[in-house]
Amino acid sequence: MQEILSQEKSIYIQISEMIENDILRGILLEEERVPSTNELAKIYAINPATAAKGINILVDSGVLYKKRGIGMFVSEGAKEHILQNRKNSFYENFVKALIDEAVKLGITKEELTHMIMEER
Amino acid sequence: MSTLVCRDINKSYKDKEVLKGVNLTIESGKIYGLIGRNGVGKTTLLSIMTAQNPANSGSVEFDGMKVWENREALDHLCFSREINTVSTLGQNTMKVKDYFKIASVYYPKWDNNMANKLIEQFGISPKKRVNKMSKGMLSMITIAIGLASKADITILDEPVAGLDVVAREDFYRMLIEEQQATGRTFIISTHIIEEAANVFEEVIFLHNGKVLLKENTAELLDRAKHIAGLNDEVDKVCQGIKTYHEENMGRSKSVTVLLEEGQKLGDSNDVTVQPVSLQNLFVALCGREG
Repeated sequence: MQEILSQEKSIYIQISEMIENDILRGILLEEERVPSTNELAKIYAINPATAAKGINILVDSGVLYKKRGIGMFVSEGAKEHILQNRKNSFYENFVKALIDEAVKLGITKEELTHMIMEER
Repeated sequence: MSTLVCRDINKSYKDKEVLKGVNLTIESGKIYGLIGRNGVGKTTLLSIMTAQNPANSGSVEFDGMKVWENREALDHLCFSREINTVSTLGQNTMKVKDYFKIASVYYPKWDNNMANKLIEQFGISPKKRVNKMSKGMLSMITIAIGLASKADITILDEPVAGLDVVAREDFYRMLIEEQQATGRTFIISTHIIEEAANVFEEVIFLHNGKVLLKENTAELLDRAKHIAGLNDEVDKVCQGIKTYHEENMGRSKSVTVLLEEGQKLGDSNDVTVQPVSLQNLFVALCGREG
């Protein structure tokens, strides 16, 4: 949770993505407690309601779960779950954008395929 | 759950109509940001809400009680105003601790410890005289009084004016911490919109004597978009949608939109759609042509 908040996206989405990234990078481990809404609000000087909204996205998607009276914890299998979700949105977020840009530049399907095949 | 409700507030100074039917409900447990251009009547509204200034018509009620000349309601409210360094009698030579003394009489839940701790944090001595203070120091005193008043609804009028960036960040953190610890309600007016945007749970835009909008900050920003591209493409995307702040340059144009529930931008293969910051949204809605 050391990233800087940017203007490019909603703050609560950035909060949820930062926690996801920390889980993927092994900064936060499964069954470990994540910073509370209050802690996040203080670290980033953001409204607690916004921080809570970011946390709730992850609770709804099953990445985090609540232990009553203790706090929010990383669910078992959260890392796998996040990877799966990101793979699912990979087409929408990256492939589609790539194709849109290729169309705009007049790059043919063959040229695009060729570029991808040449890479790696 | 306490609420502060303004109903149809009108206020004129001589011939100048400042507030033209302001309706506003402040709910407890939130940090509100009040934003408006110079002279739009922010301070007037805030002083009417705390019965320091009479309205020409309309009413302000705290939990159903009229606030005007009502000690019982006013006990729950604090409007920490800018301190003047000159009074009608000349230089204002009062000390910080004198202000705290007055505040302790005025606010039933006054926390003197907290007030002293806050000014210590800001590096101001309680013996310091008001006329020897910089603008930033005066702001710090107003902040200390507002926070230490412990009033259920606390209003700070431009608390960060004159504060350097470090002190401003300190203030936002203090504010968030105090709100979390107590569940108090705060209304903060400011011109430094960008850095405070994340602190406000809700924002209120005051424009042309009225409340233009009052909305959850995150939700408001989610539905605000900036669109740029070829003239016709932008028009196509924005068909049937109200646009703000149109700017033209050659064949291109840019507009700002606030999407209503269920509203979607039209299809286009080539426009740039970007998020809008609170500051830019304010300019788009309340700027010169807005």
